[in-house]
Amino acid sequence: MAFAFAASVHAQDAMKQEGKAKTLATGTFHGKVHSTSGRATIYQEADGKLVLRLTNFKTSNGPDVHVILVATKDADDDANFLKSSTERVELGSLKGNQGDQNYEIPSNTDLSKFQTVSIYCERFNANFGAAPLEKF
Amino acid sequence: MDTHVSFWRSRRKWIFAAAALPVLVAAWWAFRPEKLWVNHKVSEPAPFASNTDPQPLYTGRLEGKAHQTSGRATIYKTPDGKQYLRLTDFSTSNGPDVHVLLARSAEANLTQEIVKGQLDSVELGSLKGNQGDQNYDLPASVDLQKYNAAVIYCERFHAVFGLARLEPF
Repeated sequence: MAFAFAASVHAQDAMKQEGKAKTLATGTFHGKVHSTSGRATIYQEADGKLVLRLTNFKTSNGPDVHVILVATKDADDDANFLKSSTERVELGSLKGNQGDQNYEIPSNTDLSKFQTVSIYCERFNANFGAAPLEKF
Repeated sequence: MDTHVSFWRSRRKWIFAAAALPVLVAAWWAFRPEKLWVNHKVSEPAPFASNTDPQPLYTGRLEGKAHQTSGRATIYKTPDGKQYLRLTDFSTSNGPDVHVLLARSAEANLTQEIVKGQLDSVELGSLKGNQGDQNYDLPASVDLQKYNAAVIYCERFHAVFGLARLEPF
């Protein structure tokens, strides 16, 4: 169809929200080895603090499971998926294998670089699930 | 006298048991197999007071079909119960008679229905602009389980410019 015109119409509806917190990025989890599902969203609070929030979240329980940000576009299901060269930001131990939960992100984290959330089993270097984040 | 004492009555049993115990404990500690059955559920509130703001219900990225289309489509619910679709970072090509619809995301259905001219969809209005952030009110009784895709649709040529599969936020 060649009916695209050179001119473009720019709309600018306001968000009906005097935001206290901004939603920066979001994505959904995928994970096959340990079935993992739910949504990961990064918020910026009014004071600039970054928070990762997991919602509708579900993964398998396991020993020594952590939440990390990885400097990749996505992460596959793969034991030993973290190479020593893969940069990561540790956000803490997984609080629960089900349910809504928040994790503080260090303030100097470059979110354009760390684009994937991984539920990571430290002990076995296994990726339970990953959520690639896209701009909200 | 029988010098051949059976294994289960000998001291070897105890030596064996004493050796096996730490191995079993270590294996349990490493694998924590009981965690396969034991769930730990948490329920933290959102990190900000938000019940006065519109809440995102569904969201998805737009992908181009007949024309290059990009951005994000999100359905919000306001505190008074109204729902609207918001497009952000939105860009598509301009065209005649372009509408915003909610449709069922299954590709096969969509194509078939368009060909037959019986697109099962919810009309949200004419596209306000081919770029930029924009809101479209939803009718009160839309089944978002069923109409789970936002579609940028050219009525005149029955062409899907772009489509976003909406997933629960």
